[in-house]
Amino acid sequence: MTIFDPMLWLIAIRSLFQHRVRTSLLGAAIAVVTALLVSLAGIYVGMKTTLLVSATTLMSGHVNVAGFYKSTASSSAPVVTQYQKLRDIVQRDVKDLDYVVQRGRGWAKLISDSGSMQVGIGGIDIVNEPGFVKVVQLKSGSLEGLKRPDGLLLFEEQARKLDVKVGDRLTFSAPTFKGTNNTIDVTVVAIAANIGMLSSWNTYMSDQGLRQLYQLNDETTGALQIYIKDLSKVRAVQELLRKSFAAEGFELLDNDPRPFFAKFDGVNRESWTGQKLDITNWEDETSFVQWFVTILTVAATTVIFVLTVIIGVGIMNVMWISIRERTREIGTLRAVGMQRRSVLAMFVTEGFLLGLMGTTAGVVVGGVLSVVLNNAAIKLPKGAQLVLMSEKLIVAPTAGWIVFAVLFITGVITLISLIPSFLAARLKPISAMSHVG
Amino acid sequence: MNSIVSIRDVVKEYELGTTVVQALRGVNLDVQKGEFLSIAGPSGSGKTTLLNLIGCVDTATRGVVQVAGRDTARLTERELTDLRLNTIGFIFQSFNLVAVLNVFQNVEFPLLLQRKLGAKARKERVMSLLEQVGLHTHARHRPSELSGGQRQRVAVARALVTEPLLVLADEPTANLDSETGNQIIDLMKELNVKKGTTFIFSTHDHKVMQHANAVIRLADGKVLARESAKDAVAHALSLGEAPTAEARA
Ligand SMILES: Nc1ncnc2c1ncn2[C@@H]1O[C@H](COP(=O)(O)OP(=O)(O)OP(=O)(O)O)[C@@H](O)[C@H]1O
Ligand SMILES: [Mg+2]
Repeated sequence: MTIFDPMLWLIAIRSLFQHRVRTSLLGAAIAVVTALLVSLAGIYVGMKTTLLVSATTLMSGHVNVAGFYKSTASSSAPVVTQYQKLRDIVQRDVKDLDYVVQRGRGWAKLISDSGSMQVGIGGIDIVNEPGFVKVVQLKSGSLEGLKRPDGLLLFEEQARKLDVKVGDRLTFSAPTFKGTNNTIDVTVVAIAANIGMLSSWNTYMSDQGLRQLYQLNDETTGALQIYIKDLSKVRAVQELLRKSFAAEGFELLDNDPRPFFAKFDGVNRESWTGQKLDITNWEDETSFVQWFVTILTVAATTVIFVLTVIIGVGIMNVMWISIRERTREIGTLRAVGMQRRSVLAMFVTEGFLLGLMGTTAGVVVGGVLSVVLNNAAIKLPKGAQLVLMSEKLIVAPTAGWIVFAVLFITGVITLISLIPSFLAARLKPISAMSHVG
Repeated sequence: MNSIVSIRDVVKEYELGTTVVQALRGVNLDVQKGEFLSIAGPSGSGKTTLLNLIGCVDTATRGVVQVAGRDTARLTERELTDLRLNTIGFIFQSFNLVAVLNVFQNVEFPLLLQRKLGAKARKERVMSLLEQVGLHTHARHRPSELSGGQRQRVAVARALVTEPLLVLADEPTANLDSETGNQIIDLMKELNVKKGTTFIFSTHDHKVMQHANAVIRLADGKVLARESAKDAVAHALSLGEAPTAEARA
């Protein structure tokens, strides 16, 4: 009799049904763990996706072509020259391209009537940035204003700190890459809802405005942000571009998976001058917030693991009891000619079925829980908001995670049930003969 | 010699802590095909022990136990299980049906273990046996919905479904009232006559005993005598043994 024999399944199913209370309790415990796994996976996926979307539209492409220009060995500017030529190469060579935009990058003092703060500036060509419009949630003003050379977009928190509203005028002051100081006047044209950490230190203005501030020529920008259709190809695209640019005579920095602002020191210590390109991906540029996602993942995994072990021990004990109770039945089956391995198969089948039923119920509960949590639009604590770039909890379990939850937990339960099942298989047929119990 | 069971100088010892209990002390026995044999003796005389050795669910400490021509001491656990499946049928004192299976499934079970017959042939075989034990109308019942006598009939059907050479029954009537017990023995006897299946059963009850072709009288782990049923009953009655044994059991 093998695991495929319907009679084994019948006995297993009916035995589970015979002890419905016990089965329900164990099943419920398994369901809880599964539901938790599904919900946590949902939070992980939801938040990571949100982070990905926010981060990739606001501060990084899926792949970025940036770099440093050094007029002397010890002074570097985070710019790429000849960006049109680079963009043409990207458009020519990247098969999977969705779109490519250029962004200026700056770091300047923003001065209002009542205060000032040091902020990053993204120089944005709003007409060509479809993703940006989707991610940024305006509180007042309009993105149209960013078409003006002096238009500035602030986040709520910055506007509050500087005490400004749409229409107010401010001044940017920054050292240009040539070493002199420059100022320009800007007008607040839009105030957007906070997007995590980014809202505390980054602002956006029109690309033209940024060029004026830094006195850049038309050939120069901060970075090319490349968006591709299939995210799994990020690394392949990076590799491809390294080769393409090298072939066209551009010089490249070694691959360094850190955000651009972490690289100044290293670059300034090197002796070269002129332009070198740096190709990074979105994970590199957002690595400073990724650690939070990592911690979240580790914590969730630990919780799931501990719970699974607890449930596993419980299940082992209950199966142990069940096998003791069924000693005579097992002895009888052995006496009438059932082999040890069939007894083993029978009990493992029971464990498997229990796991499958529990996890299936758990997936349903977890799914419902995810929908409820998502609709409740729970506000995240401030710290979490900063790193996750989202104000609300977003729970979005994927089919892959659901299948994983079912397979993983059912697998663990089945494996655990092997131990008491071996015990059952070792019972002697003579135990059928005892006249008690 | 063409015996189904052949037992030579068998000793069975149980270890209970530091003491050794000798349940069988040098038993010799031959059982021929088609016999309807009863094993009698007072409580503790070794009846169950002997049946367990014949049934290959236990092994002798010394001596030779041959079942269907095979020396059970030389067989592996797996071969013993196969021997039980294909050669021996068991009827238990407490019926031992699988509670979660219905009557039909309980009887069908050994056939599934054998994997010899297809679904249709199995069904025919099971239904024919259920008819012979008078339970073909109860095929879909669970054991818990049956009386003791009915359950033991199911057990008889299960023991015979594989058409074994030998059926063993340790006090098959002990949990039944005497009339029902007699009916079960009658049923076993009928199948013994009709199919030629060999039966060995143990009992305290002289009324049950008298159906046997022969009675093996055990005492203190030894075979005292092999006698006719009539003599055995007379013997039992004269010793007043049956009532005391029954009371002890
Ligand atoms: N598992 C065991 N461990 C230790 N001693 C045992 C064991 N089984 C049987 N014995 C002992 O072996 C002897 C024979 O026991 P057995 O059960 O074969 O007798 P029996 O004739 O079947 O008795 P009863 O009529 O009460 O069923 C007894 O002394 C008994 O105490
Ligand atoms: Mg006994």
